[in-house]
Amino acid sequence: MYGRKAFQLVKELASGEKGQLTPYNSDLFDQVTAECSQHHLELQSLIRKIQEEGLDVQTTRNSEHYGSLIHHLALVRNKRCLMAYVHNRAEIIRSLIWKVGPVLPQEIQERLSHTEEEYFKRHSAALQSCMSRLDLDLTVDMVPPKDPYIQVRVLDDIGVVLSDDKTTNFARHSMHFLKRTDAEQFISRGLMEELTG
Amino acid sequence: MTSESASTPGIDGDYEALISTTDVELLKRAWRNEKAAPEILHFESALIQRIRGQIQLMEETVEEFSGSGIDPLSVSLYQMDLDRTQYLLRSYLRIRLQKIEKYIFHISNNSEVQSRLSGQEKGFARRCTEDMERHLEESVLSKLPDNYRDILKQSIISEENDMVPEPHLDTFVVCKSRRFLGPFQLDGSDELLEMKPDDLCIIHYKSIRERVQEGEIDLV
Repeated sequence: MYGRKAFQLVKELASGEKGQLTPYNSDLFDQVTAECSQHHLELQSLIRKIQEEGLDVQTTRNSEHYGSLIHHLALVRNKRCLMAYVHNRAEIIRSLIWKVGPVLPQEIQERLSHTEEEYFKRHSAALQSCMSRLDLDLTVDMVPPKDPYIQVRVLDDIGVVLSDDKTTNFARHSMHFLKRTDAEQFISRGLMEELTG
Repeated sequence: MTSESASTPGIDGDYEALISTTDVELLKRAWRNEKAAPEILHFESALIQRIRGQIQLMEETVEEFSGSGIDPLSVSLYQMDLDRTQYLLRSYLRIRLQKIEKYIFHISNNSEVQSRLSGQEKGFARRCTEDMERHLEESVLSKLPDNYRDILKQSIISEENDMVPEPHLDTFVVCKSRRFLGPFQLDGSDELLEMKPDDLCIIHYKSIRERVQEGEIDLV
């Protein structure tokens, strides 16, 4: 049945967890593009038949016309599904750039196609360049501030970090009293947690 | 509402003179409107410029205070205020950039919307468009047959761009007016609506769009 495979692609998108990427399904993607080429060939041969019979392609309404219309509509539907697949994944990738920054953790990177990795790098660079022209880091301060300083506990070994005027050793399980904006990038990557109360 | 703004900021002057509460209030309002509106609004360039100057002044003041023996509680209160203003500024700019990312083709094809962006945002929008076009072409369009390779049209026989995601202007928003607004007609219905100051209403964004842009109605 026409459009089944494209439908499966879109379903994969919809059924995944919100904001999470499933591995890029290049097999299914290629199958859909192959189907598109097939539709196009059929479409062209039907149009040719109309022309061979000496009829006007624009206004004829015979079975070849309707056959070619079906192929055209199926092709266009496949195109919309493919575009939606790529577009929505790109949206998730952009939200990751805001949350996690310019370097992706390994398990997420494995799920991207090669072009998506390129897009990720290019878009990160675009964002960085915009922020540096504004002279403001827009990826910190994601929640309204309650306290200027917060207490954090380090979850993973970060090692020695140079900040402003001192070096601190962020060893696992150690607790620190940091400026909120400094701690935010570690918290969003899961390397630290905020201690409340 | 008083209309004084920080025009003579002396470092040794009163702290209140450094932070114009009016400007922060304006920023808060601009931020709220931007957050609630489905489309991108006009960039408040004068306001943002003033706020950035004031933030810089506040930072210098706080540094001075923390070295000069003023009690740490006061210093942390000033710091808190500074943090809050910085959060508003960052969030305002961030929300706008995210809207640009989301509706990038709509923005690049619509010169009226483009006129609402700041200079840096326009540059960012240009790069976003290029990146997205390239990404879509490499992943999808290059693999499709000839007449179906356009990014914005479904195929060569589409009469207009039919694949551009646009902001949903008929979402419902909560809004209130600052003064009495005479009866005006709502889009798409014969009802007339009157708004008294501080009344909360839930309406289609489309109906109050111009009034939001002119500052008569605020989104909540």
